Amino acid sequence: MKPSIKTLAFTLVSTFVLGAALTGCNGGGDTPKTEGDNTKPPVAGGTTAVRPVPPSEGPMAEGDTIKIGTVCSVTGDNKPWGEDSYEGSKLAVEEFNAAGGLGGKKVELILGDSASKPDQAKTATEKLMSQGVIALIGEVSSGNTIQMAKSAFLKGIPVVAVGATRTDLGNEGTHVFRVCYSDDFQGPVMAQFAYANKNLRNVAVMTDNSLPYSQGLSKSFITAFEKLGGKVKEHFYASGAGGNSNYSGNLTEIKGENPDGLFLSGYFTEVGPIVNQARAAGITVPVMGGDGWDSDLILASGGDAIIGGYFCNHYNNADNRPQVIEFLKKWRAKHNGKDPGTTMGALGYDAMAITLNALKNAKTVGAKGILDALEDTVDYKAVSGDITLKGMNGNPDKRAIVVEITKKDAAGNWQKFAKDFVASDIKK
Amino acid sequence: MFWGKRLGSVALALLGCLILQRVGLGLNSYFQTMLVLAGVYVTLSVSLNLINGITGQFSIGHAAFYMIGAYSAGVLARAFYVPLDKSLYSPLNNGFQGLVQSISPGFTCQLQPLMWLIGVMIAGAIFAAVAGFVVGLPSLRLKGDYLAIVTMGFGEIVSIIVRNQEPLGKSYGLEIKPTIPSIFLTWLLAVVCIAVCRNLLKNVHGLSFLAVREDEVASSAMGVNVTRVKVAAFVLGSAFAGAAGAIYAHSLGFVSPTNFSMDISFIILTMVILGGSGSITGATVAAVVLFYIPEWLRDLKTIPMAGFVGAIFATIMVVALVKRTLDGFQEKGRKTAMIFASIGAGIVMTIALRFALKGVTGLEGSIDGNKLRFVVLAAILVILMLLRPQGIFAHHEFSWKWVKGLFKKKTAVSA
Amino acid sequence: MDFSTHFVAAFELTTLPQQLINGLLNGAIYALIALGYTMVYGVLKLINFAHGEVFMLGAYGALFVSWKLGYQPDGNAPPPSLMALVLMLLGAMLICTIVAFFIERFAYRPMRNQPRIASLITAIGLSLLLQYAGQIFLLNGTPQTIQAEKISPFSGNVVLNLRGADQSRLAEAEKLKPAWDAAVAEFKARMPLEPGGEFNLSQEGERLHTKQGDAERAYKAALNDGNAGVMKIEVPKGQVVLFTITIILMAVLTYLVMFTKQGRAMRAVSHDFNAASLMGINIDSIITFTFLLGSALAGAGAMMYCTFIPGTKIDSFLGLAPGIKAFTAAVLGGIGNIPGAVLGGLVMGVAEYLVVWAGYDSYRDAIAFLILIVVLLFRPGGLLGSAKVEKV
Repeated sequence: MKPSIKTLAFTLVSTFVLGAALTGCNGGGDTPKTEGDNTKPPVAGGTTAVRPVPPSEGPMAEGDTIKIGTVCSVTGDNKPWGEDSYEGSKLAVEEFNAAGGLGGKKVELILGDSASKPDQAKTATEKLMSQGVIALIGEVSSGNTIQMAKSAFLKGIPVVAVGATRTDLGNEGTHVFRVCYSDDFQGPVMAQFAYANKNLRNVAVMTDNSLPYSQGLSKSFITAFEKLGGKVKEHFYASGAGGNSNYSGNLTEIKGENPDGLFLSGYFTEVGPIVNQARAAGITVPVMGGDGWDSDLILASGGDAIIGGYFCNHYNNADNRPQVIEFLKKWRAKHNGKDPGTTMGALGYDAMAITLNALKNAKTVGAKGILDALEDTVDYKAVSGDITLKGMNGNPDKRAIVVEITKKDAAGNWQKFAKDFVASDIKK
Repeated sequence: MFWGKRLGSVALALLGCLILQRVGLGLNSYFQTMLVLAGVYVTLSVSLNLINGITGQFSIGHAAFYMIGAYSAGVLARAFYVPLDKSLYSPLNNGFQGLVQSISPGFTCQLQPLMWLIGVMIAGAIFAAVAGFVVGLPSLRLKGDYLAIVTMGFGEIVSIIVRNQEPLGKSYGLEIKPTIPSIFLTWLLAVVCIAVCRNLLKNVHGLSFLAVREDEVASSAMGVNVTRVKVAAFVLGSAFAGAAGAIYAHSLGFVSPTNFSMDISFIILTMVILGGSGSITGATVAAVVLFYIPEWLRDLKTIPMAGFVGAIFATIMVVALVKRTLDGFQEKGRKTAMIFASIGAGIVMTIALRFALKGVTGLEGSIDGNKLRFVVLAAILVILMLLRPQGIFAHHEFSWKWVKGLFKKKTAVSA
Repeated sequence: MDFSTHFVAAFELTTLPQQLINGLLNGAIYALIALGYTMVYGVLKLINFAHGEVFMLGAYGALFVSWKLGYQPDGNAPPPSLMALVLMLLGAMLICTIVAFFIERFAYRPMRNQPRIASLITAIGLSLLLQYAGQIFLLNGTPQTIQAEKISPFSGNVVLNLRGADQSRLAEAEKLKPAWDAAVAEFKARMPLEPGGEFNLSQEGERLHTKQGDAERAYKAALNDGNAGVMKIEVPKGQVVLFTITIILMAVLTYLVMFTKQGRAMRAVSHDFNAASLMGINIDSIITFTFLLGSALAGAGAMMYCTFIPGTKIDSFLGLAPGIKAFTAAVLGGIGNIPGAVLGGLVMGVAEYLVVWAGYDSYRDAIAFLILIVVLLFRPGGLLGSAKVEKV
């Protein structure tokens, strides 16, 4: 045994040393200075870095159809959201094709499954690109979207993110757009709502440690709420393979702290049981959360306790904007009268619709054309609000609405509009 | 003669990797990614085979070492890496850079990307090896399922720690620059891993590994240092996993805890056992096959194709099950009964599948194979295991003799 | 405020008794699932990775039964009844038994004479298969919940007061209440004049709103101060039922294994496969029986898990988390040992909640594994198990 391990160790070390010596590790001095890193003005969405421009022009549409790819988590943990996003995109494409497509040319939507994992999102993206797509729609989570953005960057194919709220997403390149707001808008919105409108000063936050989304949202909420002058205590749970659905430990601690509000940044699948158990444990303070709450299944898992909770949403099914009414009519017609399960239905639809709109306006039918047309989008009337991408670094300046959960009425509505926010409402 | 053969195989391996690299560059980026990931999985599978198949230590936490390698690469890259081409440099405004600068102001490390990747691979291997040493120690006292759960628990602990550390990007993960997908290095690592394992088995040290697998008490009575062998297997196996992790991190440019979850450990374990526990050839082949199946199934789009695939699987499965079930019987009509039963059940299953598939239709009546791929993967797994419990290659290894034997037989038949 | 109250409040000990009890109850959940695990392991000597998926199917069984009985999320539900719970329990156990029969017959039995690791991979394969197939075929993978509060007659809490509030301080706090009431009344009177509704107040409305909030906070703070020394234990009745059932099941199973003919045969099979068959024990039937029993326990566990922990989401990955924890608990106690499984589960539960109490709740899930590793280092056979020395 002895010689082989020694030899191996020696080889490893010597290779490393040799490599370092050959190429020069220099300690001290000679720090490379970069030009123009810190001179850029802050832009919308909090992105300050320079956005790299994709190095290539991107492919043109070939064949009888115009191929557009969508990467969705149709298997794995994020399936409820990924599935809705896919169904939404499908709806938009069917509508576009029924209206005649682009001068008679139909759009073909190709699905790539990411299995809710970043590396699968990468292979799915590469696969779609090898099949000749000229635009990519997707992902409901930021980690997967980053992989898509990285892969699509070299090819210059635009990526329209559906539900990736991570703030620094746009740093990947000028080819990344999103149709949702970002965490650094949603968090402050809820912080301001809690502080000013609900008059809360001392809030307990529960973060799902296995969700990047939850950690990001909690962070931005806490920062904003503390800036406003409130006090926050963060508690953690995990929803993944290690966790379980008994939250009595966290709730006992929270009850001991006597907060006057509870902010739950997780997904509805965990928020329901938490609120349910919190009420049973005697915590009666107002509960609040982010867009991860948006599913009527929260009514089933949260029971009576969830009624009266507030969350931040992209749009509201009870909205009387024509786009929302139209979208819901179409969705219900296709899905036996059911509403979209999560907010990703509408966002998936929007992401696809805005891309198809760009395709219509594009000078050339190719990736570059769509990319430029997307960048030029001004005031597009989407289901989830008006979207302007021009000069926004891919982060649309969207409104966020806070809704209150009510009992389901005869029409199936369960969200009551409370207040809407636009970016300028947020006190910096 | 001896050295000639050695040098020859080294040259052949290098050449092979270079050819793979050249071929890969000619393909589209999808296949390039696939080649890199396949190489990573081969390394993982072969290295776990060393722990699991060859030394018989039941480890189901291999993803932890893989993760440690990947994250150490990520942390190092974020702290030190500055490419020679300064236009590629982007400010890394995170804790590590600050830390390094506070200890040694102005310290940077300028390397060619490939040299950097080699360095990071070694670093990842060292970190993972240390972890492997730590996990290897309990293996002295534990065995079988008890050891398995300790390795699994270790994996979970590593992942929970990462999820809670701000500098490690919490559950979101770390972005790593630069992205260096190198088919050449990935496969070189895989080849080195295979060669180390193979050569180990050819000498006396390797035999002691096998002895420990077969019988610990007996081998220790024969003078084998069981402690050392077990720890060495863990250290070596996890070092390769760590190196694979480093390559993986730099090929994706991003690491997140979801990429190293428990099911990855299970998949790697499955590769080892499916290939044939202890067989390096088996581990290699099974890694490529198991990695490729879910990717291949992305093409499962049209209804006829799905029906076809479904029918084949249904029939094979039924044949396997019926065969196993009837094995106990010794009646004359057994064979006929089996054939009829399998045909009948195959038809029923095909029809059932056909109806079931209606639930997963995509745009304009096509099927989203994407949604089915893991179901089919799991089905293949179960069927293969039932059909061939000892693994595809059992304990056999690929050798030129075996290939020659194949040809000889053929000529004998034709003559 | 006497010294001990102060001490208790200062060191946040007030929640400690509650957390210990919570921990025990939480541990009972692990223990309940671990019982099934450990039974199966005892005879099969196989880590049954598909156990979690059998558990998941049991949960779906209970869910469907509850829907059939009319406890849908929407619409009117029948009154809570014990009968419904029993029917759900039976439904879950039945489903699990049927599934387990097929798994044992077609996946595990053919592998019995093969290396154990091959059966293990089959188990992993089955587990993946059930997870991903469930995601397509079981309600399209949409997360569901059992309407526990509508079904369970065990609603409300069992309350145990250990130490009361500081009455003099509470009385003082009550003096602040009129101010709050007045502020509320003032704001209410103002509300009809507000054009923008509750969330778009005018300046005057905003002032009154803030005033109301401040008055409320002052009152609540005084109340909390009075309540600072309160020590009480509040436990959901459902979880008490779960705990009791776990202990009863443990006793029954121990009796079954230790004192019945069937149990003796089980132990014989567990001890030596071949010798047992030479002694005239029908191995197949014993193994099938144990496997079905273990799986039925999984079904019972699933039903109780999803009913007595309100709001638990049921999807095809449900079995993953409890499965891992239960497996850990079983190994911690000494796998194959029935009281060990329960002890392991309880130890894990309490340890987790102590970690939460200490404020390291983000490491709650790591502690179970940490304890496991430490315990196994000193007792390689688990808490109640014995490490066998292999002889040549």
